[in-house]
Amino acid sequence: MQLSKYLPYNKHTLKSFFSFERTPLNMFMVGLSFALVGMLGFGIIEYLLQGHHAYGVTRQHAWGLLIAMYVFFVVSSTGLCIISSMGHVSNIKAFQIIGRRAIAGAIIMILSGFVVLVFEIGHPVRMVIYNVLTPGFTSAIWWMGTLYGLYLVFIILEFFFLNNENHKYSKIFGLSGLIVGLAAHSNLGAVFGFLVARPIANGVFFPLYFILSAMVTGSYLIFLIYGWRYKMKFPPEVEHMLHTLAKVLGLLLAVLIFFEVWRSLTAVYGGMPERADIAIHMIMGANFLVGEMLLGILIPFTIIIISKGKAIKTMVYASVTGMVGIFFMRYDLVHDTQLAPMLNLKIREYSVAPSLVEYIPTSTEWMISIGALGVSFIMYYTADKFFNLDHKESDIH
Amino acid sequence: MARYGMALDYKSCINCKACESACKEENGILLGADKHRIWVGVNDIAGIFPDLSIGSSSFEPSQCQQCDNAPCQEVCPTSATYYDDNGVVRVNPDQCILCTYCMQACPYDARYIDDRTLTVDKCNFCSDTRLANGETTTACQATCPTKVRIFGDLDDPTSEISQVLRDREHYSLKEHLGTKPKLFYLT
Repeated sequence: MQLSKYLPYNKHTLKSFFSFERTPLNMFMVGLSFALVGMLGFGIIEYLLQGHHAYGVTRQHAWGLLIAMYVFFVVSSTGLCIISSMGHVSNIKAFQIIGRRAIAGAIIMILSGFVVLVFEIGHPVRMVIYNVLTPGFTSAIWWMGTLYGLYLVFIILEFFFLNNENHKYSKIFGLSGLIVGLAAHSNLGAVFGFLVARPIANGVFFPLYFILSAMVTGSYLIFLIYGWRYKMKFPPEVEHMLHTLAKVLGLLLAVLIFFEVWRSLTAVYGGMPERADIAIHMIMGANFLVGEMLLGILIPFTIIIISKGKAIKTMVYASVTGMVGIFFMRYDLVHDTQLAPMLNLKIREYSVAPSLVEYIPTSTEWMISIGALGVSFIMYYTADKFFNLDHKESDIH
Repeated sequence: MARYGMALDYKSCINCKACESACKEENGILLGADKHRIWVGVNDIAGIFPDLSIGSSSFEPSQCQQCDNAPCQEVCPTSATYYDDNGVVRVNPDQCILCTYCMQACPYDARYIDDRTLTVDKCNFCSDTRLANGETTTACQATCPTKVRIFGDLDDPTSEISQVLRDREHYSLKEHLGTKPKLFYLT
């Protein structure tokens, strides 16, 4: 059986696989990717030696940087899926050219997320077994995990049919992937939103916000991926797509600002304990002001507004700050949810009553979390080598 | 089958921590500041000398509240957390995947990671170590020198706990969350 008959791919020798243009930027990315994967390897060794003791997580702050990074990756995946669906599912012509590359990115991002999650969940193999044998249907994690598994299957099939230029089936699986992806992703929001014990997270906000911020993340990633692919020399159809995307992104960011403003106001208003105090701590912090707002929202938003969406090259650079901001959004989401101690009395002598729960990620957590980006880069390079991710005439229909 | 609960006459607590020690001994809980199924919370004396508020000082022994509507059970993705026949919220370590979602969901900080099994552990009213052997007390109750704890069947109207809950005013922690705790603080 020949695989290429079913899934067209480029054949490579080891030499041709590793051959690329030796530009300074390419060399930098190669060095960066290997450094990141090396970090990941070192982090994994630390984890295998010490288990969760290698992490800075505690009884009061059981979720740390790895969960934040997992959320970061799956948000990116869902975002790419949503944005690409605007083309080959919703038939918006400008976006029809991004399908293959965006869906490859979505697969890569969710796989990278799973890489991180494997080292956070204590018993990943047991998880697969008992997820099926004794499902907890009232658990948002069960729904999120199961739906993401299904989502991965659908987007792989979508990619398969896109690659085979079978637009009928790519559309069917694209729509299935989109629906299941939206369900999975809003469930990830509900993982936090369902926490009745934690007023700062409890409620409808996170399931909605996750979908919105996924679309913002997907847009930033499209800018980055296409900026990298064409090294800023965009063909006209890509330029048109990025112009359109910039306008869509402007609208999404405006809605995101609106969300953030009202979330902050409703959280602070009335001074409800464990919500208002945490919200004030959050919105007065550098993570929120500089990370989330300035880098993640305001810089890209200002560029879009001033240039009326035309400065697509600048937007590629702004997408780097945007993604850094998105990372802060994920980190803050996980950290701020756990800031309020569940036990307000001191239980040890020579101590004081707990105020806010402290958490500092360890070097192992940083190595695994950031190192997983190297896995994404290498998977993207591999996908780009083996598959024709560029658009074709037949993609526009 | 019983529906076990516990009443705490917390104003009698002298913070000797015998209950913490007995729990560790009885259930083989590992040493370490974070590794405990039960604890005694301390409200320090408020104010600045000489205007100290002696009345503000109190001790609040606590543990898993054995909720009838337990958030930890609701969020468990593999049903590792379950209610046993006696209404006790327990963890099956064979099914626990250590996602620690239950630790996020518990409003009482009653769960911790047991480094022996690498799963989440919590108070189970000594179900394995005492109740299974036919005993009718928990280790923390049996050891308490000032008789703070009253353990028993809430469904049995003749049990000591049922009588004391009828006779004395009591409250539960974070009742507004709808968790329906089975730990009652006697006032």
